[in-house]
Amino acid sequence: MNLPKQGKVMLTVAGLILGFLFISLIRSADTDSTTTRTDTTVASLIQIGQENDQLRQDIVQLQEELAKFQEGQNASKVVLEQLEKAKRNAGLTKVTGPGVRITLDDSPDRDIEDEDIGLYVIHEEYIRRIVNILWHGGAEAIAVNGQRIMANTEIYCSGAFIQIGQTRQMPPYVIEAVGDVSYLQSALNFYFWDRLGEYQKQYGIVRTLEIPTEPIVIPAGKPYQFRHAEPVKEAAKT
Amino acid sequence: MRKVKLSIAIAFVALVLGFLITLQMQTQKNVDELERIQAQRAASISNFLAEAQKENEELKAQHQALTVQLEEARAQSGTSPALQAELDLYRMMDGTVAVQGPGIVITIDDRAQEHKLVLPLSDENLLSIINTLRWAGAEAISVNGQRIVASTAVVLSGTSTKLVNQVPITRTEGVPYEILAIGDQDQLLNYFNTIEGTSLKQMGMTVNVTRKTVQIPSYKGTSPVKDPNAQ
Repeated sequence: MNLPKQGKVMLTVAGLILGFLFISLIRSADTDSTTTRTDTTVASLIQIGQENDQLRQDIVQLQEELAKFQEGQNASKVVLEQLEKAKRNAGLTKVTGPGVRITLDDSPDRDIEDEDIGLYVIHEEYIRRIVNILWHGGAEAIAVNGQRIMANTEIYCSGAFIQIGQTRQMPPYVIEAVGDVSYLQSALNFYFWDRLGEYQKQYGIVRTLEIPTEPIVIPAGKPYQFRHAEPVKEAAKT
Repeated sequence: MRKVKLSIAIAFVALVLGFLITLQMQTQKNVDELERIQAQRAASISNFLAEAQKENEELKAQHQALTVQLEEARAQSGTSPALQAELDLYRMMDGTVAVQGPGIVITIDDRAQEHKLVLPLSDENLLSIINTLRWAGAEAISVNGQRIVASTAVVLSGTSTKLVNQVPITRTEGVPYEILAIGDQDQLLNYFNTIEGTSLKQMGMTVNVTRKTVQIPSYKGTSPVKDPNAQ
């Protein structure tokens, strides 16, 4: 290039300035990384806060129990109270109260020849999602076709039937939940109910929601044995 | 004539440059301010977090000391071992006691990687995995440290944060998802790989399953079941 010396100097200066501008631009584009870090910190803050609350509650309970022992109260009475509570929370007692009853059934006008037969039937996923949403809505207890949903209850499709808690279930599927009716309903409406409504309109699957006036009765679940897991004993660790 | 043209061109370039520099300085000032605010905010949250962690350690120590005392008191007071065993069983069922035993560790990485299209893990994927592990006879399950109990719900908060037991399970470090299960190792492994693993891998995720003796934490939330005798 045939430029005067002055021009070359100016070009160099301009180049330098441009470079500087680029770098500072890149730097400013980088700044949102700190926001995501803040997000995850907030998440762990909530986690640890919840754990602390639980620990505080537990400590109060432990202190109360210890005090009862020290006062010389009947030890087995203390244990029996705890036993009742654990049994209830594990789902081993009947639960009665207000709640909702949802019925799902395959479409009556399904054409067996239709390739899209899957769209006309109730899938395990629908039941699982409804149960999940009802728990989110604060349900106390849930049963599907009379099977109490417990910590180990599977809702698994093995072809012709859906296996729930090791029993074979066929449609219609009746999902019953005891809990605050308005919470249960708003959770349903917020998450999945409308989608099922679409399937109802398009393919004719059956979807009904009842709020019975008489109380709903959720049967007790059956106890099961643990063959692999055992409690972690605090004392053994020290 | 050429000289005049050149001068005009250079003048024009200088003008544009001047404008750009001013603009950049202004932006930089705003960015600096923003960075300062963000740093402040992050610092105050980290402070909270540090305090909460310190408190957590103290509470844990206190909790453990009390548990040891209580176990001694129970032993001395002659609580029948049968009754204690029954209580242990129910507490394993309601999830309020930490458990240990043979099982599997599943890690799922759904972060985008180079040259690889990854569909992020959905809440429905998580529900399905939990269900499959239950079907495989898992006696206890946890997802990112949250014990899975009967009343566990998995929902989305916003577009990507998943809540399990109403707690966000976003991890700050390591693989995004770690799922533990106790039970028959072969059965857990086979069921998971066949039913879930293959399709998750097809979605581009990195999935690892290993046999391990695991410890699964207790459920920290409150049970939704009410005491029918309480007022």
